[in-house]
Amino acid sequence: MYPTKYHTPKTLSEAQKIFAAAASPAYLSGGHTLLPAMKLRLAAHSDLIDLSAIPEMHGFTQKADRLSIGAMTRHHDVANSALVAKLIPALAGCAGSIGDRHVRHRGTIGGSVANNDPAADYPAALLGLGAIIVTDKRQLVADEFFTGLYQTALQPGEILLQVEFPIPQIAAYAKFRSLASRYSVVGVFISQNNKKVRVAVTGAGAGGVFRVQSFEAALEKDFSPSALVTCSVDPAYLMADASGSSEYRANLINVMARRAVENPGKTSCYN
Amino acid sequence: MKISERAFRAVGKPLARNEDLRLITGKGRFTDDFNLPGQLWAAMVRSPYPHARIRNVDGRVALQLPKVLAVYSGADCEADGLKEINHNPVPSTKYDLKLTGKDGGAVFIGKHTLLPTDRARYVGEAVAMVVAETREAALTGAENVMVGYEELPFVVGTVEATQPGAPILWDSQTDNILVDSSFGDAAATATAFAKAAHIVSDVFHIGRVTGVPLEPRAALGDYNSETGRYTLYAGSGGAVRQKHELAHVLGVEPKDVRVLSFDVGGNFGTRNRAYVEFGLVMWAARKLGRPVKFRADRSECFLTDYQGRDLVTEVSLAIDESGKFLAMRASNLSNVGARCVSLSPLSKGSGLITGSYNIPLATLRSRAVFSNTMPTQAYRSSGRPEVTFAIERLIDKAATQLNMDRFEIRRRNLVAPSQMPYRNAVGSTYDSGEYEINMDKLLRLADWQGAAARREDAKRRGKLLGIGFANYVESSIGTPKERADLIVSPEGIEVVIGTQPAGQGHETSFAQVTADLLGVPFERVKIILGDTDVVSAGGGTHSGRSMRHASAVIALASDDLVSKAKLLAAQIFHVAEGDVEFDDGVFKITGTNITTDWFDLAKRLKELQLEDFPGGLWVRRDNEMHTPVFPNGACMCEIEIDPETGGIEITRYATVDDVGRCINPLIVHGQTHGGIAQGVGQALWETCYIDPESGQPQNGSFMDYGMPRFNNLPFFKTEISEVLSPTNPFGVKAGGEGGTTPAPAVIMSAVENALAPLGITGVEMPATPAKIWAAIQKADRSALAEYI
Repeated sequence: MYPTKYHTPKTLSEAQKIFAAAASPAYLSGGHTLLPAMKLRLAAHSDLIDLSAIPEMHGFTQKADRLSIGAMTRHHDVANSALVAKLIPALAGCAGSIGDRHVRHRGTIGGSVANNDPAADYPAALLGLGAIIVTDKRQLVADEFFTGLYQTALQPGEILLQVEFPIPQIAAYAKFRSLASRYSVVGVFISQNNKKVRVAVTGAGAGGVFRVQSFEAALEKDFSPSALVTCSVDPAYLMADASGSSEYRANLINVMARRAVENPGKTSCYN
Repeated sequence: MKISERAFRAVGKPLARNEDLRLITGKGRFTDDFNLPGQLWAAMVRSPYPHARIRNVDGRVALQLPKVLAVYSGADCEADGLKEINHNPVPSTKYDLKLTGKDGGAVFIGKHTLLPTDRARYVGEAVAMVVAETREAALTGAENVMVGYEELPFVVGTVEATQPGAPILWDSQTDNILVDSSFGDAAATATAFAKAAHIVSDVFHIGRVTGVPLEPRAALGDYNSETGRYTLYAGSGGAVRQKHELAHVLGVEPKDVRVLSFDVGGNFGTRNRAYVEFGLVMWAARKLGRPVKFRADRSECFLTDYQGRDLVTEVSLAIDESGKFLAMRASNLSNVGARCVSLSPLSKGSGLITGSYNIPLATLRSRAVFSNTMPTQAYRSSGRPEVTFAIERLIDKAATQLNMDRFEIRRRNLVAPSQMPYRNAVGSTYDSGEYEINMDKLLRLADWQGAAARREDAKRRGKLLGIGFANYVESSIGTPKERADLIVSPEGIEVVIGTQPAGQGHETSFAQVTADLLGVPFERVKIILGDTDVVSAGGGTHSGRSMRHASAVIALASDDLVSKAKLLAAQIFHVAEGDVEFDDGVFKITGTNITTDWFDLAKRLKELQLEDFPGGLWVRRDNEMHTPVFPNGACMCEIEIDPETGGIEITRYATVDDVGRCINPLIVHGQTHGGIAQGVGQALWETCYIDPESGQPQNGSFMDYGMPRFNNLPFFKTEISEVLSPTNPFGVKAGGEGGTTPAPAVIMSAVENALAPLGITGVEMPATPAKIWAAIQKADRSALAEYI
């Protein structure tokens, strides 16, 4: 790791000030992507600004028809929250399916969302639930937030504070894991809210997480696995790597979508 | 009484391991735990090219950086007269098959200099070293060394490297083939093939994997200018071997090199041979007058730990009308990488091509080839999983082709106990074993009877159930010499021995053996390993040799020690030597009430200082034992394939393993469990894939190298079968590798069995979901209608 200066601001404004004054700063949340990259010398930052001591970035709040989760909330805490389990059980399951025990005790929802790894689970959950991303400057809907591989609408220095989830009637997540990394080769998050269906796919898109309108239309007509049998995704828009070809991923999107529909309220892991 | 007929108190008991408390409380002494005052750090500059001429190494920029002290290249090594690592790769006991070069002559192995002067021959090869005050400064220095490369054509594929026109790695050679030897009776085999009713053939590639020890390799070198001695802290498979090889590299006498190798966080063969960094840190320590340390990061381990397997085997079986095997042909081609470090995999496999079966005739061509890849080495069960895969998969194919039951065709051809010792068609003599009994035990253990019902149940859940089966026999040979010192003190007995555990529990099982031989409590025996100033000789740990060699030499040393102790007792009590009897730890003077024991004798000797016993009550014994043993067994597993995703779940896994005498069943079961995981890993997840277009390794981290995980494996049912080997005092065979040996074959047998309704064959390892799904797409899927 190249030399870096580590900061632990106690307030948001302190964090913003440090960021503004530094040469090449980075915010640090769980650090599970950033720190390995820095250790491998693939990333270098003059200053690391750890956001974990800022109180308003933690915990759960229910506001009318929304569940708000602080950006620095750990995956383990989302997975084990009684409130999340009651309101959106598939989201609790999704958090509990990320990585391993060690990852879940360090990794945060905000870190995962801001990093937008094309195989991460949370981007699918946010897009699949139609979440709202609250930053220190503005609010964004998930459809506008995820803009490409490891790319988001966040501007330099902008801090992601909370994620607000509309509470759906049904939500479910099904994912097929890589045997090496345990990231999703394909993960499909589905929700139904006031007759509107959202289907979001992670792990497969050549441009990162995406929605599948044809699946959504089919499920809005008939929310059942059989409605998806004739649906397909064009492999041309999908990734290909050692975990599988784009055709294989297209198949898995269909299979995982059906399995999500078959298991409402649940997160199902395969492989 | 023969040892094998005695009743034991400690041997055979599942005693908890002596080493565990130390290891789980952070008191292990791994290489990186050692630090010396004033130590510097080394980092390697590694080739990004699979094959390139080194024009120059320019360290000027790096040397301007803070804390960087030195940049060394191959030219510097040469100028200082450093020699190559003398790997001695051709296995050399009387019982190893004799591999030779193309003309029957010596095998050209390619000089393994610490840093190359001419070319880089694989991606990751160290071409220069930077030494600095800190590890970070050394790494930054390494990034700033400018190496002038001229890219050369390269070849990474095993078969491709043999072909005419392939880029040649070594200028002195006319091609890349370094070994070409033939064995068996070619004429008689040809006759048998000519009259065979059936001939079954196939070609298999058992791909390249790596050992992935949890502890990355590391080395700390020091030089004392007053004594002229080098010291190296480096975990390995045997410190004594490293001492001799590194003394040669440095051009000094072995006595001037001390190697310390205490706790080792996984070996699996990757650490048996010396690494260039070991010599480099010692040399740099002398040049700079300060200790120098190196620690590989995980990516360096993936690129440059010695790798395993990578064998292409073409096999044919001649079979008569009744399903009896008449003859076998095999042609095995081993990819040794850029230089030859070890031919153990090729040699070991060559002697076992006929597997557990009575095949009267066989011919074998064994070849080895250089390629622009990291050198390969013996990897857990060196060479045996490869040939087991070939014969067992071929027999499954024969059963299908002949429309015979796959168990029946095996029963008809297994070597029978009455044939033991059995000399196979390529000259290996199997010592003992009850192969068909293993099979029968296994079928009960694995509940073969219930398999049909489980298949129906899986079908109802939309899953294809596959049942895999394999027999196996393997050889345990290894370095033939071992030494033990037994030292008695008033407090206990110390055993100094030259094996090197990396998790095998030697401190426990060797103590069990010693305790029973000397009639002392297990708790009073201590095993001393790992410092070449204490351990003067020893063959290290590989090839399943340690328990067998240790128990044999400890048994001989114990006899010597008993004789010496009788002499001592006679002097102490002023009686004739013949009047001292020894039984189960107690020395008795005939015709008196006087009795004494080991510790009392040691205490009295300490007080008396008798001149016939310099150094106290102790013995040193050397033993040379060439005769191999042949652990064997049978293995069965069940898998379920999800035809929609290609995903595989292993639902059952059972083995019966004849390890000979089992000293500690807790340890042997643990070895079997770990061995299974490692073998299954190759079948389903692990691969060191090298892109043939770019020559770049594609699996450089845990993000892309799939490891076995506990939640991808079922609980194993493992049963130990003890058919004592007649070749050594305790009847030990080996228990460290039997889990691995049949595992790739049994998993792929299950995969093919599951996919049989679709007519799919020839899925390659690792059998990933994507590969299985792709095979299903190409197959006639009408049979799937019943499942989905």
